[in-house]
Amino acid sequence: MGDKLKGRNAVVTGAGRGIGKAVAVALAEEGANVVACDLGVAVDGSGTDQSPASETVAECKKHGVKAIAQFGNVASFSDAEAAVKACVDNFGRIDILCNIAGIDKPKMIWNMSEGEWDQVIAVHLKGTFNFMRQAAPLMREQKYGRIINCTSEAWLGGVTHLNYGAAKGGIVTLTWGAAQELGPSGITVNAICPRAKTRMTDDPKVREMVVKRVEKGLMDPSVLKRMDREMVDPSGFAKVVAFLASDDAALINGQVFLTTALTVARYSKPETVAQVENPSEGPWTLEAIKSAFSADKLLKGYVNPAPPKPEEKK
Amino acid sequence: MADRLKGRNAVVTGAGSGIGKAVALALAAEGANIVVCDLGGGVDGKGASTSLADATVDECKKLGVQAVPQYGSVADFKAAEAMIQACVSNFGRIDILVNVAGIDRARMIWNLSEEDWDVVIAVHLKGTFNTIRHAAPLMREQKYGRIINTISEAFVGTVGHVNYGAAKGGITSLTYAVAWELGRYGVTCNAICPRAATRMTMGPDVLAGYKKRVESGLWTKEKYDEVTHVATADYLAAIPAYLATDKAGHINGCIFGAAGAFFSYWAPSKETAIYNRDWDTYGKWTIDEVEKCVPNLLKGYVNPAPPEEKEKK
Repeated sequence: MGDKLKGRNAVVTGAGRGIGKAVAVALAEEGANVVACDLGVAVDGSGTDQSPASETVAECKKHGVKAIAQFGNVASFSDAEAAVKACVDNFGRIDILCNIAGIDKPKMIWNMSEGEWDQVIAVHLKGTFNFMRQAAPLMREQKYGRIINCTSEAWLGGVTHLNYGAAKGGIVTLTWGAAQELGPSGITVNAICPRAKTRMTDDPKVREMVVKRVEKGLMDPSVLKRMDREMVDPSGFAKVVAFLASDDAALINGQVFLTTALTVARYSKPETVAQVENPSEGPWTLEAIKSAFSADKLLKGYVNPAPPKPEEKK
Repeated sequence: MADRLKGRNAVVTGAGSGIGKAVALALAAEGANIVVCDLGGGVDGKGASTSLADATVDECKKLGVQAVPQYGSVADFKAAEAMIQACVSNFGRIDILVNVAGIDRARMIWNLSEEDWDVVIAVHLKGTFNTIRHAAPLMREQKYGRIINTISEAFVGTVGHVNYGAAKGGITSLTYAVAWELGRYGVTCNAICPRAATRMTMGPDVLAGYKKRVESGLWTKEKYDEVTHVATADYLAAIPAYLATDKAGHINGCIFGAAGAFFSYWAPSKETAIYNRDWDTYGKWTIDEVEKCVPNLLKGYVNPAPPEEKEKK
């Protein structure tokens, strides 16, 4: 289709299905050779299956590029090494790395098991580190690289899967930090917060809930309309990732983008928006701190995300 | 000294030295009973000793409260359970949890070993999850709780220890989510970015590095003085102590900068520039279209680390 990435070689994790597959195909459409990595697990990380990665390889090849599959686990440091090495051995070097692989094991904090925490952190956060760690020295050496990580709006809060949110928050900071460390060497590191219809997000119950709220007048109908337009195949926005992987995006570094079929948005970094100086020479006193709040200085514009429901017990 | 936390019981991790110790003493000074958790290891997480935790216990007791030590590793799920259990079995219940324990293993990403990644993530991120996981059901049941986590300004990206930064970014998101999940039950969860002179930030190695920068002309003497003029942790300890009081019940899911000299509120990331499109008409995004919307999207953006030389192709 295009040739923006002709001669480039990419490693894409989670490339067997969903967003990873859409990204792999979008890169291939622009001429990049692709290492399609996928363990072939269910959304909760269970099982293995080689067919998703193999199917993505076949689809990439249709666009006239080279493609190979890797069936390892991103959470394994040595599997990540093998996948990056496969890119170098088969295609000559690695130019592009897209970390999309992820799983979800939702539970409220008071019900979450140690295993549910560990596995989600391992796949998302360590998986992303593993691939970056393997690719970074090579990209530094060649003074060229494009790294695109996958985070989520869950990074900013939410309920029922704080393991997932914490992993995504870790990935955002890893993105910001690696962008600073690798930028001088001609490498960019950015992240996307995607919205799309995938195995993980395609939950009819969510839509039903929104429909009910709209019917009751609790929610604006535009919310549902927007949701229907965004909950479409991730190929709807995959070219945004292809752009970030291209030479044209050389000066875009350390940014987080919301990406949907409908919208691209850029996130600000957290920033201090209110500050109070210690009125005394000595340590802060509780009185001084209290007055910082009572004057509504520090919390101007702050909204409690979950105020106490019943009367708070003492 | 005062009684704003009289009758409250707190678990403080990393309480053997630095910020953790200062916070434990600030809570004790307001009347809270303290479980002092510290493995007694070095800044890099190596070694163990009971003397650090024991010393904090003694100092807390001098303030007239009850205090018990815990010597386990916060990275161990069972040891974290024991810390929370120690609070309940010794003092009756747990009202306050302050997660301060942390280590640092600084390397650039291309030199960072798997172990250095794993250990730092385990102590900070999993350690914070571990204690919250064990405290949450109890606080939810009693419909009261104050959780204060420790992050760092490194959560907005840091050079030289992406493991540390990523852990702190993870804790930030964990803080937001716990605030959402537990807020309705009268439990608050906030985090502080402390700036204080501790063995991690102002130890001999760090100071030696700063001095080298002055000697090599990278820093002026004034810059050195400015960077090293940081108050000790006891100067800021009243800030987490305040967040642990009844008065702070309406403050939930916030990140605060905390130092002897200042106190600040960090707004979370938000969408700052948006490009909307009519996909019914235009179909899938194309690269040309993406390229076209980039200038507007990047208004105000500054590349944090532009290429040193012209990028090789």
